[in-house]
Amino acid sequence: MREKSPGVVHVELRLVEPGAQRRQQLADAAAPRRGREHDRRLVSVDDRRQLSVRAEALGLDCEQIEILQPDTSLVPNSGPTVASRTTMIVGKLVETAALVIRKSLMDAGFLKQGYSANDFASACRQYTDKFGALQSLVKYQHPGDLHWDDGKYQGDAYGAYAWAVYVAEVSVDMRTAEVRVEDFVAVQEVGKVINPILAAGQIEGGVAQGIGFALYENVVWQEGRMVNGQMTNYIMPTSMDVPPIRVFFEELPYARGPAGAKGIGELPLDGTAPAIANAIAHATGADIRQIPVTPEKLMEMLEGVHA
Amino acid sequence: MPEAARKIRVQCDINGRVMSLEAHPMARLLDVLREQAGLTGTKEGCGEGECGACSIEMDGALVNSCLIPALQADGATIRTIEGFTHVVELSAVQQAFLTHGGAQCGICTPGMILAASNLLARNPEPTETEIREALSGNLCRCTGYTKIFESVLEACRTQRHRP
Repeated sequence: MREKSPGVVHVELRLVEPGAQRRQQLADAAAPRRGREHDRRLVSVDDRRQLSVRAEALGLDCEQIEILQPDTSLVPNSGPTVASRTTMIVGKLVETAALVIRKSLMDAGFLKQGYSANDFASACRQYTDKFGALQSLVKYQHPGDLHWDDGKYQGDAYGAYAWAVYVAEVSVDMRTAEVRVEDFVAVQEVGKVINPILAAGQIEGGVAQGIGFALYENVVWQEGRMVNGQMTNYIMPTSMDVPPIRVFFEELPYARGPAGAKGIGELPLDGTAPAIANAIAHATGADIRQIPVTPEKLMEMLEGVHA
Repeated sequence: MPEAARKIRVQCDINGRVMSLEAHPMARLLDVLREQAGLTGTKEGCGEGECGACSIEMDGALVNSCLIPALQADGATIRTIEGFTHVVELSAVQQAFLTHGGAQCGICTPGMILAASNLLARNPEPTETEIREALSGNLCRCTGYTKIFESVLEACRTQRHRP
């Protein structure tokens, strides 16, 4: 049981999913109560990224905002476990919710422009002492200028795209047809990098998965069932199979993303295998039309080239 | 009842504490640790000794606890991931994983910390190749391993400067 020091603001967000397409966030800013435990039972589905989005929007230090761990006994059903654009969509809602809180404090006269972090904490305290809990409710809205016809599959499906260039250098043993990825460079334009370590980590993880997709992860089907569903016979990359992955980001801010961020969930998996396949083709002259390029398959392709 | 169906007493030192556990002789040490000893930090990823999520140290060696029968643990000195959390500060490896993004979902992390720590105990200044080899029995799907290597190298640097 810990006491919070004055000046620490607890912002708790609850992610509510009333319908499949809509998301709501409830942001509570509660001032610390001196000498008493703060109620930590409200939960948040935020993580480090959302923390920094919120902190930046409010002009606070990350240390002043507390993230609560999500607990499925408390959080309402938020729909499927997806994460393609969590930073972009949910992050924007968090940013907006935080700004609504700030506006409420300013409208109530407790906060002025150019406030310090301590001013903010003090304003929260004054507000909650006078009016009770401060909440902001933000609902996702599909941008009005993006028209997508789901019936005809026409229009603008997305407001933004993240862009990437992937370069793979491979070596091929021409006797055994084994391929090694020797070097990999991943450049992506993502609007805005919110957390450099997590962003690079996402790319590195996706590239590693793409290496598996390209070279090792063969799914063997028999009468509609996968028969190699064990780690011993479904081969995924180990630490020996992944080269140093060099990651670079470009930033062209997307207006509808928090601080300009776009999504990078699936991005690194998209381009990796094609880059590797193209590198193999470049190295061997083989026409690579199928992945994974296992040694057996490559050997057949090489025989075709030299036939 | 056949011999193998009767439970036996397994006495071992787990994280510095002598524990006496009752288990079937062929029960997996992984299950004994998680269920009888209540140490759920060690994870089951595959149950077939391929992924390393169940890695523990047994008598100083890094082993897959999903492949160890309980009777083999009798008299052994065992260290699990919980054995790293009884000190005041995080170990150099743990701290490095935190600051360098060595963990994402965390399911491989206990095994990775065990493997990395076991390596550094044997070889305090490993090359990157040696780190890769030492961790090659621990699969990770999230990180692509890159930041795990960076974390281990950082832990080496930190330990070099610790008295």
